Amino acid sequence: MNKRWLKLAAVPVALSFIAAACGSDSSSSSDSTSQNTTAAGEGGDFGGVTVTITGPERDDPSIAAINDTLNAWGETVNLKVEYTGDADWEANINTQVEGGNPPDISFFPQPGKLADFARAGYIVPVTDEVNTTLDEFWADGFQKYGNVDDVQYGVPAKTDLKSLVWYQPQAFADAGYEVPTTYDDFVALVDQMAADGGPKPLCVGIESGQATGWTFTDWVEDMVLRQAGADVYDQWVNHEIPFDDPQIVTAMQTVVDLWTPENVFAAGGSIAATNFADNGQPLVDGQCYMHRQANFFAGLFPEGTTFADPSDPTAVDVFYFPDINGDKPVLTAGIFASAFNDDPATMAVMNYIATADYAQTRQKNQTEAVGGGLSGYLSAAMNQDPAVYQPLEQSFLTILNASQIARFDGSDLMPADVGAGTFWSEGTSLVNGDTTAADAAAAIEASWPK
Amino acid sequence: MSATTTTLSGTGQPGPSSAGQSGGIVDRAYQFLRRIPTGVLWLIVVVWSIPTLGLFINSFRDRDAQRATGWWKVKPSELTIDNYDTIFSARAGLGRSLLNSAAIAIPATIIPIAIAAFAAYGFAWIPFRGRKGLFIATVALLAIPLQVALIPLLQMFVGGASVTLPLLDKTIVLIPDFDLAGTTTSVWLTHTGFAMPFAIFLLHNYISSLPKDLFEAARIDGADHFTIFWRLVLPLSIPVLAAFAIFQFLWTWNDYLIANTMIGANASQQPTTILIANLAGDFGRNEYILPAGAFVQAFVPLVVFFALQRYFVRGLLAGSVKG
Amino acid sequence: METLERTGADEGAPDQPAASAGGTAPGAGRPTELYVKIAGGFVLALGVLYWAVVEEKIRSTLLTVIIAVAASAGIWIGANLLFNQVRGRWQMFNTIAFAVVGAVLGIVLHGNLVTIGSGNGFLTWVIGPLAGAAAFGGLGFALAQTDDPSKRRAIALGSSIAIGLVIGAVIRDAYQPGLDPVAIVVYTLVGIAVGAGLSLLLKHPPLGGALIGAALGWVLGAWGAADLGDGSIGTSIIAALVPAVLIGLRLGMTKNPDYKARVAIDNRSRAVIFIGPALAFISVMLVIPAIRTAYLSLLNKDSVDFVGLDNYKAVFDDKNSLDLTNWTNMFTSVPFILGVILLAVAVVVGVSMQKRTGRAVEIGNPTVAPLVVGLLFVCFGAFTAMRGTLINNLWWVVVVTFVSTAMGLAIAVLADQRGGERVAKSIIFMPMAISLVGASVIWRFVYTARDTSTEQTGVMNALWIGLGRLSTGSGLPTIIATIFLVLVLVGLFMVLARMLVRYGPGRAVVPGILIVLVGWLFIRFTGIVGGGVGGFQTLPDGSVGGQTVFFVQETPYNNFWLMVIMIWIQTGFSMVILSAAIKAVPTELIEAAKIDGATTSQVFWRVTLPQIATTIGVVVTTLIVGVMKVFDIVKVTTNGQFGSQVLANQMFAEAFSFQNKGKGAALAMLIFVAVLPVMIYNIRRMQRES
Repeated sequence: MNKRWLKLAAVPVALSFIAAACGSDSSSSSDSTSQNTTAAGEGGDFGGVTVTITGPERDDPSIAAINDTLNAWGETVNLKVEYTGDADWEANINTQVEGGNPPDISFFPQPGKLADFARAGYIVPVTDEVNTTLDEFWADGFQKYGNVDDVQYGVPAKTDLKSLVWYQPQAFADAGYEVPTTYDDFVALVDQMAADGGPKPLCVGIESGQATGWTFTDWVEDMVLRQAGADVYDQWVNHEIPFDDPQIVTAMQTVVDLWTPENVFAAGGSIAATNFADNGQPLVDGQCYMHRQANFFAGLFPEGTTFADPSDPTAVDVFYFPDINGDKPVLTAGIFASAFNDDPATMAVMNYIATADYAQTRQKNQTEAVGGGLSGYLSAAMNQDPAVYQPLEQSFLTILNASQIARFDGSDLMPADVGAGTFWSEGTSLVNGDTTAADAAAAIEASWPK
Repeated sequence: MSATTTTLSGTGQPGPSSAGQSGGIVDRAYQFLRRIPTGVLWLIVVVWSIPTLGLFINSFRDRDAQRATGWWKVKPSELTIDNYDTIFSARAGLGRSLLNSAAIAIPATIIPIAIAAFAAYGFAWIPFRGRKGLFIATVALLAIPLQVALIPLLQMFVGGASVTLPLLDKTIVLIPDFDLAGTTTSVWLTHTGFAMPFAIFLLHNYISSLPKDLFEAARIDGADHFTIFWRLVLPLSIPVLAAFAIFQFLWTWNDYLIANTMIGANASQQPTTILIANLAGDFGRNEYILPAGAFVQAFVPLVVFFALQRYFVRGLLAGSVKG
Repeated sequence: METLERTGADEGAPDQPAASAGGTAPGAGRPTELYVKIAGGFVLALGVLYWAVVEEKIRSTLLTVIIAVAASAGIWIGANLLFNQVRGRWQMFNTIAFAVVGAVLGIVLHGNLVTIGSGNGFLTWVIGPLAGAAAFGGLGFALAQTDDPSKRRAIALGSSIAIGLVIGAVIRDAYQPGLDPVAIVVYTLVGIAVGAGLSLLLKHPPLGGALIGAALGWVLGAWGAADLGDGSIGTSIIAALVPAVLIGLRLGMTKNPDYKARVAIDNRSRAVIFIGPALAFISVMLVIPAIRTAYLSLLNKDSVDFVGLDNYKAVFDDKNSLDLTNWTNMFTSVPFILGVILLAVAVVVGVSMQKRTGRAVEIGNPTVAPLVVGLLFVCFGAFTAMRGTLINNLWWVVVVTFVSTAMGLAIAVLADQRGGERVAKSIIFMPMAISLVGASVIWRFVYTARDTSTEQTGVMNALWIGLGRLSTGSGLPTIIATIFLVLVLVGLFMVLARMLVRYGPGRAVVPGILIVLVGWLFIRFTGIVGGGVGGFQTLPDGSVGGQTVFFVQETPYNNFWLMVIMIWIQTGFSMVILSAAIKAVPTELIEAAKIDGATTSQVFWRVTLPQIATTIGVVVTTLIVGVMKVFDIVKVTTNGQFGSQVLANQMFAEAFSFQNKGKGAALAMLIFVAVLPVMIYNIRRMQRES
């Protein structure tokens, strides 16, 4: 018999294999879906289903802490949680949702995006049970950014505090400076430092690769909040007043007026070229006195820096970026968890994230993961055990709790075209001196999506 | 010359290339000048390796050392393998992610080569109507930014593909749902499709330039297309197959976008690129790990390059033309 | 191109043995190599086996891949073997081809549990296909036996009636269709129209197409439109019999092809077999998404409303895309003036070359250098005056493509068969192995600028400030550097003099240009003009301090520094491809040219270069496309700020970050359309050449 014939005979066999493979595949997939639907439902036992979560928090301690915390709780109700960090979350979540493959829950760092998703019907409202838990542990000011058109979609899962100024208490003491308590004091202190001719008053750098400019937007937001007040701030981020409103232009102008070469230490004099992460080193090296940046900046100081430790002369501490009108506004940021389906297991996870237990357990786990240092995590949930936080972190919480007005980072509330687009780029141009505050504001206003 | 010269003088080494004079004067100067092309070559090599060298040295320095001084001022005392240690002990599991990368890159290299080699041979040596037009159309698709295909493909992997007949309210399943969403299989399938235009383009260029006499002789000997392809074209195309394999392997190994899109929330299937990008942390806080990460990431492609480089051999065709 | 010419000279001697060594086909191999291969393969297999046992992941992947590859390869090879029979053994071919069709039909019906008796495990996959193969194979065999039209008609019709009846009779109750006459009529009519139309288009008689179309229409109408399970055995026989008869009629009209027709079938089938799989992948993965994108680009942000060409208009109206307001500035820019001077030199040289050789411009003659460099300078001058995304993109394409190809070619030629070839090529290749994002991060380190009061961590600024210190200083290093520059200048003048005396002004152009450049550097370095060169500044108190360059932030030059990243990566690409091509140039050609007395430079320009011209075309085309599509570099370094935006990054931002799908799609289409003419031109030219 010819050899070719043997080969030929293989064809139908191969074909039938494919068909068999198709057949078995489709049946197995239908099995798994039916499992999912039947398993959900019973109160304290979810039959070992897995709830998937994605989010932008992606470094090892965070991923580990989130997974460990949720799974330790999950064991008590027999469900598994799988958290995946995603370096390109902003773009990827859109693709996943449109491609029909979203996770069960996602962590939104931008309430603006959460609102978009809610209005598009991608995410589902939280159940009443979750709402009750939220009311128990979270102040209205924090809840409201997860609220879209009077329906609660998001659960706060992390809080960042931005209205902070980092400084070395010993350096202040040596030069005879006092921590300012009003904005006027702050400006006077800056002028005094500049006049004394020692280290520069401020360290500022707004370069951050693809996100260059975000530091500037934080300054402007803090300034709007102080100069014009919380109401104008809300109108501004909701686009009820135009971006080029005189009050906003004034705030932008105030920031760049403060950032003069005499006041600012920056690489070669270029604030726009200085990486924001490179501001910690000059502060401890004594090249500048102050640096206004959020709580997570603790992780960007050189290795071995101590925080809020009166016994160490090189220790770094923070003070509240002072206010103008005495209403103690703070600029915050954070993360909201939101669900893409209302399976009981998913909602059970959402409910747990809303509790103080989640916050303090995660804080405990994350502190352990970084070997007892600063975890980088912070939560404004009420009724947490303060003992899980380090001294510096406790001062963050003190500042947070002392304020009557907490407002979320405006650039995260605006549409991405503005908040992660023109606000950054026009701001960078303004800092670079390529445009004026009025022109920059007008250009941002023009880019606001209709 | 122009390009070489301008680029070189740009790097601050204007001297050597100037001496490239020609002529047959047999004297010492000539002996010296003879070596200049080699000198130019090694000069380029040195310039090229500077960033990589810096990266390599920095991968052994901790964050503060990287920030404080340039890599050329490295002190032996500050060398540490902590960065590598961080990567190797990553919670997400470097070993698993390397396996995933291999599970993506190997099929995504071998399968397109086979399919594209058939097609390239078909376009080059099988006469049929509309051949040129079809070839141009195929290669023109090279210009499509692959980002536009991500969402439709993800939809297909999630739910298969089906067509609803007009009027009848009946759907016909064109591609069944194989439950591929979030698997490495979906990633290499996507790579296979995206690689096709370039692979056909590159292989066709080579295969179509094989001498015509070869094929005519084989035809006269009674060989069919399948035999010619298998016995003649494939062995003769080894250099170009190796070249394509190197690039395809590299691209798929280093791909972040497609893997990130297709795998989504399925952490157990993540390749190394995603693992390392995640280690860099929020706000690039741990960016100092990236040099070490880049070397961990580049190690396998380099091995592939070294392994395949030996297939670039001169004179593959020599024997066949004579014989 | 004297540099390359010398390369050839060096190669002269060692070329011979190397060529003959490489002349043996790699398949033959030396024994030791074979053992190494076997051992390597063995170790690899063991490793894979170990993995497969230990790692579930590898096991499942291996299984998937092996099943997929084996099945596809089986089908592919089978199809090839089948169609190998067309020319010589029509009967056998016809029988098997029909049998395969029958088997597939059997699998579809029986495997999907549509027919009675299916569902008994493995037998399900055997009985149906076997029955189908037997029935259809018999029909094919019978048809191949006779050429008498009436007999063929009888055979075809008879068997198709039988097959139709049987299929109709064995359909399970659950699948028997309740017939919908309107749908059947409509679909059949549509099928007839489409089938006949297609036949006419292909210049065949319309009847055949109409019959097939009617059959398909009937199937769609009778099965697709019906509620399955509502019918009886009668309806399923009607639904199956009619299309079977229609196809039988069509089969009866055919005749056994003669040898010429069979050759045509052979060729056409091979075209499908060889190209089909690739086209299938391409249409699913690229063509359909491309059409979808074209459609989306005409819709608004949320893909709801039709907006026509507004998205495209928005791109061009944007001042960030194209800003020509300062175009007159280019006439006063230094590069522009330099370029004009060089072009003037080119004209002078060109005229003299015209007199001597009859051709003013020729690849490899002295006119080329000043011409190309001059053009580049002029364009550079223009670029410094005009801004915008589109201009940036144009520059990316021109600069990266040109420099990468030229460098890659130079390295491939210089390293070819030289000591250390592998080492050199590996180092040039190294950047390819680092991902684009990784490379961008590395170069951000390289370009870093820090305050001059601290140490520079970026090597570029460190060098630049070092040069400034050297230039403005007065110590021993400065003196040594000055003396070195003088020596280089003197050497250049000697070369210039020799060129002028021996070869005339044509050959003196390159040293002349170099003298101007080095001379300018010398004048600046010694501080005759501008006080020095490098990163320095005179401080208010009169002392000299360092001055950094913001490589990434300073418009418009930052664009070029970002392009350097791409060039650093892509040179490895062009080097590898061109190196493979150079190695494939037949040794005979080169030897023949040498025997004819060609110099090594002539061999390169007249033999090697034309031989690899199409490959250069491939590299250029690929680079253009790659550059147009690259977004990672810009995204990671500046994200389009500081006037460095490019179309691909803008598209990514619009489509994915800002969720402006219409504009994102429009930008994607723009990228596609912008590259298309260049590509088509390139491909057509390459096809003409080969």
